[in-house]
Amino acid sequence: MTDNNGSLRVDRRTTIKWLAATMAAAYTGCSSDDRYLGDEIPARNGASRLGIAADHDGIAYGGDPDRMNPVVPWARTMTEAQLRTTAAFCDIILPEDERSPAASTVGVPDFIDEWVSAPYLQQQQDRASILPGLEWLEQQARERFGSSFASATEQQKTEVVDAIAGSSAARAELADKAEFFRRFRYLAVGAFYTTETGIEDIGYIGNVPLSGEYPGPSEEAMTHLAGVLKRLGLPLPA
Amino acid sequence: MREPFDAVIVGSGAGGGMTALVLASKGLRVLMLEAGRHYDPYAETPMFTPNRDAPLRGIGTPDKEFGYFDATADGGWEIPGEPYRSASGSEFMWWRSRMLGGRTNHWARNSFRMGPYDFKPHTRDGFGVDWPVSYDDVAPWYDKTETIAGVYGSNDGLENHPDSSPGVLHKPPAPRVGELYIQAACRDLGIPCVPARRAVLTRPIDNRSACFYATGCGRGCSIGAAFQTTTSLLPMALQTGNLTIVTDAMVYEVRVNDKGRAEGVGYVDRKTGKHEAAFGRSVVLAASAGETARILLNSKSPGFPNGVANSSGQVGRNLMDTVGAAMRAQFPLLENRPTYNEDGAMGLHLYIPFWLYKEQARGELDFPRSYHYELGADGRTEPDMGMGGIAGFAGSYGKQLKQDMRRYYGSFLSFVCRGEMIPNAGSYCEIDPDTKDKWGIPTLRFHFKWSEHELNMVRHFQSATKEIIERMGGRLQSGDEPPKQVISKGGEIIHEVGTTRMGDDPETSVTNQYGQTWDVKNLFITDGGVFASKAHKNPTLTIMALAWRSSDYLAEQLGKRSL
Repeated sequence: MTDNNGSLRVDRRTTIKWLAATMAAAYTGCSSDDRYLGDEIPARNGASRLGIAADHDGIAYGGDPDRMNPVVPWARTMTEAQLRTTAAFCDIILPEDERSPAASTVGVPDFIDEWVSAPYLQQQQDRASILPGLEWLEQQARERFGSSFASATEQQKTEVVDAIAGSSAARAELADKAEFFRRFRYLAVGAFYTTETGIEDIGYIGNVPLSGEYPGPSEEAMTHLAGVLKRLGLPLPA
Repeated sequence: MREPFDAVIVGSGAGGGMTALVLASKGLRVLMLEAGRHYDPYAETPMFTPNRDAPLRGIGTPDKEFGYFDATADGGWEIPGEPYRSASGSEFMWWRSRMLGGRTNHWARNSFRMGPYDFKPHTRDGFGVDWPVSYDDVAPWYDKTETIAGVYGSNDGLENHPDSSPGVLHKPPAPRVGELYIQAACRDLGIPCVPARRAVLTRPIDNRSACFYATGCGRGCSIGAAFQTTTSLLPMALQTGNLTIVTDAMVYEVRVNDKGRAEGVGYVDRKTGKHEAAFGRSVVLAASAGETARILLNSKSPGFPNGVANSSGQVGRNLMDTVGAAMRAQFPLLENRPTYNEDGAMGLHLYIPFWLYKEQARGELDFPRSYHYELGADGRTEPDMGMGGIAGFAGSYGKQLKQDMRRYYGSFLSFVCRGEMIPNAGSYCEIDPDTKDKWGIPTLRFHFKWSEHELNMVRHFQSATKEIIERMGGRLQSGDEPPKQVISKGGEIIHEVGTTRMGDDPETSVTNQYGQTWDVKNLFITDGGVFASKAHKNPTLTIMALAWRSSDYLAEQLGKRSL
């Protein structure tokens, strides 16, 4: 099952086997959706405003990829229109603020495309929720405002998203769209805060070699901890 | 391969690596056969590469279950063409590496000594069996193993958690905020929280550098700070000139001659599919508890109808894994805390050793064995896809979400249980009558059951953890479901041991105290298969200490020509 690029092609049987492995491994942070989801995605049925994403090419990186020179071996599959809606949705979830730019400016939409185009089962499950979800956003914007989701005003976009964001907002018939929102947010946030921009925003300052002993917490961090412990009536360990 | 080898060693992980170094250092000619490919950690370790450079931000996939940058090459819970099965009603997970150095390339490096109670569990509580050795018998080899591997930690004089000899341990790294926070609450509750022990250098040894406190140990360590055989034992053994390593050599049988002596092994060359053989004056199996049992059970001959070294019927029995469970909590008082470099040694700095031996001895606990806590250093660690979980916790979006991310990042801590399982009749592996690997070699079928002992232990862990979290003012997020739901699956903690246990009695054990099989005098086992019990302490350090002790004995016997 190796193609001429040295990458692995994943057939459907393998994918189903992986589902079992995925469930067994009980990944943290991944929703375990046990509906069977194959290559056919619901967006194919009925009218499509955003176009039809290409089939994923089934190319996996295999059990022994080059870790020193990582590449994504599979092709992206989303249409231009899907990517525009994705970008607009990303920016509603993670807009520009005083500390960092909007998610679409640091490649988050492309990452969503990379994700839903991957041949693995978790990603294919997400694809089956995300592509119809994007279609739903578009449909809502058209019906309510007569514009595409991407070109709707901030307030209009927020109005659409509010219907599926938050547990109380989602009506029962929108339960699957609420799940789409949660999953999309999960992916967009993971993608954003792993970029240089996101890392700078969140204030992670590791992954640099230190010489000598590990210094432990800064003075400021220790002062803060001492305050925390004081509130709980606990002494700071010597 | 007909060369005058004194020993043919199967496997290059903790047990095989140590055996090779000890024997080669004594001038013996050693052949090591490794099922996986050659692996060069100096050239293949993606130090510092950020998650964003990997496909899918480096998350685990069916191809790379522990993430794109995990050191494991060609391995994982499943290997194409090399199946195993769980018997109906059982669920067992078997992690295999197919690479030089095996699982030592990616392990957590947690290195706790077993103590006096751990070697004589039957004497203490009447369950399981005692080891044929005591702590005092093994202690000198613990010192030697810690010295060569390099282990940080401290001597705290705790019951059943032995101190090392003076000068052996490396200085432990300073604790981080989350750990100090937990330690403060534990002290108030009378629970010890002390420096952990990990095989990570904090001072250089030979050409291995001290830790520089960055980039995950699971990727492998090209500066040699985090112990793995491929940067330590194997290069040292090769330097003697007495070790030959052959990779892609998948051993499937021990060949025994008509005098009942092992003369070598049969293996498949994984690259060509050809069947080959290697010969030596002795054979040492260190292929992992599962694979070693499989090799023995598949080595059938008229003299050994049930497999080699299996006259006791114990090969494959007494399969144990560590009891795993975890709880996670969010701590409002840690919100918006000041940032600093919290990577540290990329693993435990502090941990909680078991502290209730006296209560247990008085019969006040409803479980006979013990556990320890590994404290989740998921504070201000390098962002990965798990950041999405914080957004789920916050429940917001828009500008509010960005503020919430800054507020909550670094406010979660996790508490991980690692406990002792008692061997039971329902947990074992055997040859699967229906399944073969792609070379036609019969494969393993696993049976696995937890007993009330383990479930009650998890319940205790849950209630103790809730007490700690409450004292810290935290909000429990996960892990409080009934023990049956939260306990790990068999094999999931990747501490499988016991399938070829050592003992004093050939009727009930596979090897003697030196890993020498009772049935075949020149056949030894130096992996986790020889464990007579599975203390809550992570097994690798003990595998290496016992491998060293057994190899000393093997070398002595080879020298006397008494095998």
